[in-house]
Amino acid sequence: MASSFPLYQPTPCFFSNTQFKGLRHGCLWRPTYSFASSAQNKVKPVQSSVDAAPFPLLQPPQVEESSSELEPVDPDFYKIGFVRSMRAYGVDFKEGPDGFGVYASKDVEPLRRPRVIMEIPLELMLTISKKLPWMFFPDIIPLGHPIFDIINSTNPETDWDLRLACLLLFAFDCKDNFWQYYGDFLPSADECTSLLLATEEELLELQDPDLASTMRTQQQRALKFWEKNWVKRKLSLFKIHSGAPLKVKRLARDSQRFIWAVGIAQSRCINMQMRMCALTQDANMLIPYADMLNHSFEPNCFFHWRFKDRMLEVLINAGQHIRKGDAMTVDYMSAQKNHMLMQRYGFSSPVNPWDVIKFSGNAQIHLDSFLSVFNISGLPEEYYRNAEVLSNAGDTFVDGAVIAAARTLPTWSDGDLPPIPSTERKAAKALQEECKQMLAEFATTSKQDQKFLDSSPESTRTLDAAIKYRLHRKLLLEKVILALEIYQEQILF
Amino acid sequence: MASINLVPNLSFNHFQTSSYLVGVGNLQCRVVFNKSRKKFPSYSCIRCEKKDEVNKDEVNKDEDKKDEQIDYVTVERPPYYSYMDSTSGQLEPASGARASIPEVEFWPEGTVEQVRSARAPVPTGESLGSPSYGSNPGSRRKSYRASGSGSGSGSGSGSGSGSFAEADVELSDPGLPEVMVEPQEDSEEFSSDYVVYQSEFEEKEEEVGYKLDKKLGVPHPFVDPKIKKPIEGTLTSDEMWWNWRKPEKEQWSRWQRRRPDVETVFLKAMAETGQVKLYGEQPTLTETALYRARRHLYKEERLQAEQEKLERIGPLAYYSEWVKAWKRDTSREAIQKHFEETGEDETTQLIEMFSYQTDREYRIMMGTDIRIQRDPLAMRMREDQIKQIWGGDPVYPTVNYIQDPDEVIDYRGPDFHEPTPNMLPFLKEHGKIISREELEKILEKQKTEQVEVTDIDEAMAKAVDIGENDDEEDSDIEVEEVEADEEEDEEKINRNWSVLKTTPQLRKSKSKPKPKKEGPMSLEEAVGDSENLTDFLLDFEDE
Repeated sequence: MASSFPLYQPTPCFFSNTQFKGLRHGCLWRPTYSFASSAQNKVKPVQSSVDAAPFPLLQPPQVEESSSELEPVDPDFYKIGFVRSMRAYGVDFKEGPDGFGVYASKDVEPLRRPRVIMEIPLELMLTISKKLPWMFFPDIIPLGHPIFDIINSTNPETDWDLRLACLLLFAFDCKDNFWQYYGDFLPSADECTSLLLATEEELLELQDPDLASTMRTQQQRALKFWEKNWVKRKLSLFKIHSGAPLKVKRLARDSQRFIWAVGIAQSRCINMQMRMCALTQDANMLIPYADMLNHSFEPNCFFHWRFKDRMLEVLINAGQHIRKGDAMTVDYMSAQKNHMLMQRYGFSSPVNPWDVIKFSGNAQIHLDSFLSVFNISGLPEEYYRNAEVLSNAGDTFVDGAVIAAARTLPTWSDGDLPPIPSTERKAAKALQEECKQMLAEFATTSKQDQKFLDSSPESTRTLDAAIKYRLHRKLLLEKVILALEIYQEQILF
Repeated sequence: MASINLVPNLSFNHFQTSSYLVGVGNLQCRVVFNKSRKKFPSYSCIRCEKKDEVNKDEVNKDEDKKDEQIDYVTVERPPYYSYMDSTSGQLEPASGARASIPEVEFWPEGTVEQVRSARAPVPTGESLGSPSYGSNPGSRRKSYRASGSGSGSGSGSGSGSGSFAEADVELSDPGLPEVMVEPQEDSEEFSSDYVVYQSEFEEKEEEVGYKLDKKLGVPHPFVDPKIKKPIEGTLTSDEMWWNWRKPEKEQWSRWQRRRPDVETVFLKAMAETGQVKLYGEQPTLTETALYRARRHLYKEERLQAEQEKLERIGPLAYYSEWVKAWKRDTSREAIQKHFEETGEDETTQLIEMFSYQTDREYRIMMGTDIRIQRDPLAMRMREDQIKQIWGGDPVYPTVNYIQDPDEVIDYRGPDFHEPTPNMLPFLKEHGKIISREELEKILEKQKTEQVEVTDIDEAMAKAVDIGENDDEEDSDIEVEEVEADEEEDEEKINRNWSVLKTTPQLRKSKSKPKPKKEGPMSLEEAVGDSENLTDFLLDFEDE
């Protein structure tokens, strides 16, 4: 275990040996965001404080999830679902220092049809309808229970996470409820990277005042909600009716537990449209096992609601080639920037293809030239690296960050008008300058961040996540600078 | 020879690979197992066949093959029905456990999922942790920090070196069960909130008496005598439902009242006048029946007394009460004396006496004098009492029916919603009504007819009329044509010809009933006219 290096060190990999890392499957570019990298919302990926990693920088290749650091999870994890007719086909649940993940246990040839890897019956889930007649499937809330009044008092538009948190806490209190068992496998409060649990200093570490203030208001909101419904209710109702508040009070003794539940609800909620007989409703769902799937910007799985027997299917994309040990991933939020991911799931990625850098200058580079330099094809909404055309072996430079650069760099394109190399270079230099200025505005550099991450393995998860967030921002800027450098070199005349 | 050899060679080649792999003995079942679709090769070899062929062939080769020869011969028919499956080209059992299962593509909907779900391997392995039942989420993760520092105060706890060391220990020994659910420090504070169940079982007491009996099956009372106690709150048998009686004075509807009949009304009236005494307001059934019986008996007594009086004093004396003018002695002796003197018997004398009776006396005697109140009580009854008995005015019942005097009576029938037909044109159209002018015309015709036809025999005329009517009924449509025919050739007589031949006047008069037809015939005429008109119009359109 000591040798296993769970830390996600993407940066050094990219810079030091770019050639090595990268497209594992040889197909498209990959955000390298598979399990260990950090992304998993659920898993609260951030590197675990546990392992002493004295020389992490010297072992970059192992960043690819080495199987040694993955252990199979507690067998009960699957057993409790199996006896409730949840099924997993050809996948294993494994647990790394960053949390849980789902991995293929065998190779899967590309199939014409999506292949089912998990089936989760409705009975295991916790769902609330999004809109006002609150409907719960399964309906675990008894009639007249005070938790329903709390749920009913929330704002139907905005407070879905509070409702879901209430439901989750209530499920923990229900006798023989599945979530009483499953909850043992959820990340605990100190494993959870959700910024709801972050302290003020950790929010400052984000180096992103907007995100920090957003998270502050969210924390305040959750705290107020808890105070309103737990503290005050307890005082007022105790005099009148001593029995009523107890049911509610014991759900969340302290605000910490409630905020943790909100964080779990935010990071694990899956919004789906589920159909039951004639009833079709949008619901916020907490789906066990499916929430152990990690995030990827290029997912290989997706969810499907099978209304016939009310099961959620997790399916492998049709035509996807899966090798044994591959992480099964889904896309949590499509086309969202890092700060949205950070806000809701508590992770970020340096290779988020949807990240945006705000340039203020007038400099523009030629779009088509830039795309052709990096072999990027497709429409702006769906850029991808065309690896099959000109795939220099080992060219792994192009990743999500370059795609993001192609999207976010100010560009021009005017029919067939060719770019003038000198002006292109000038524009690229100007853009590089701007990026460097932005980098300089940060209080720390990426090296310092990395060093801090390496030097303090025992720091809390939220602190790790916060530092990684700003690190990833800087990595993206550096990658853009590098891409512009390459663009200047390889621009076609 | 080659051709004969072909069959066993084929079979041999077919199984060759497997025969290399496996022993000869269990070859067949292995083959069947591997290729379930080909259980029975269609070219099944029979041993005798083989032997024949073997005999023909050289023996040594046969000996070589003999070891490897596969005996999958079936002499008997398989014990199930089979059919030649066109998809597999094999003989397949039609049903039962040996029937081949079709390919996945042919499975019904949902079966694939069922099979897949059933085939999923059952998870194995022993779990090291134990569930915390929601109280300690995350406790069964491998990386769970059992220090519990975070759970209490949250992120503020800057996981110190202690937790780090602990984690390190975990890392070094991953097999260690690290799921120790520590009780929280404030657990006793919360314990008051929960219902505390007594988890330990109490010592089993020695069972005696009833419980022992029950346990052993010894005869015992149905209910534990210790537990048994008298049932409370039972009703007395008077209150039980089978003892229900009609409540005494519970008349909650006027329909429960006894309907007033003659007897009750009379009785009430008699009670009012003091002739009888009733116990309640309304006469009871008994009182009514008693009254009825008494009335009958009194009447009978009276009649009997009258009869006795008649027999005692004789009819003359009896009836002389109603003959004031009869001054003679009516005793029996006087009657006997008169009989001896004049020879008139008693009857004659009675008749003689009645000849002196005035009509007033006669009416009084017969009871038909309306001026004498024969039943003073009945005549003295008030009007409401009378109406109770005989009702009110039968035409405008106002007494026995409850009616709002202001109510407008609804005489509509069940089909009142249908529009009221305009009767006059309807009747006109159907010939039920004719206008005054037409009527007068008809009457004029009838008068002239009477004048003209007076000389004709009535019977004859009727007979002719009948014939005409028949004609019209037969050929209703061609009325005019028939008439034209009749006018054209009067010689053509098809009915009643004998009569018409003998009385030529009838044939003359034939033309006269024809205009007479116009009255009652207006309908048929109208029909004919309309048809002609439509025909004409149709012809016109055609042309």
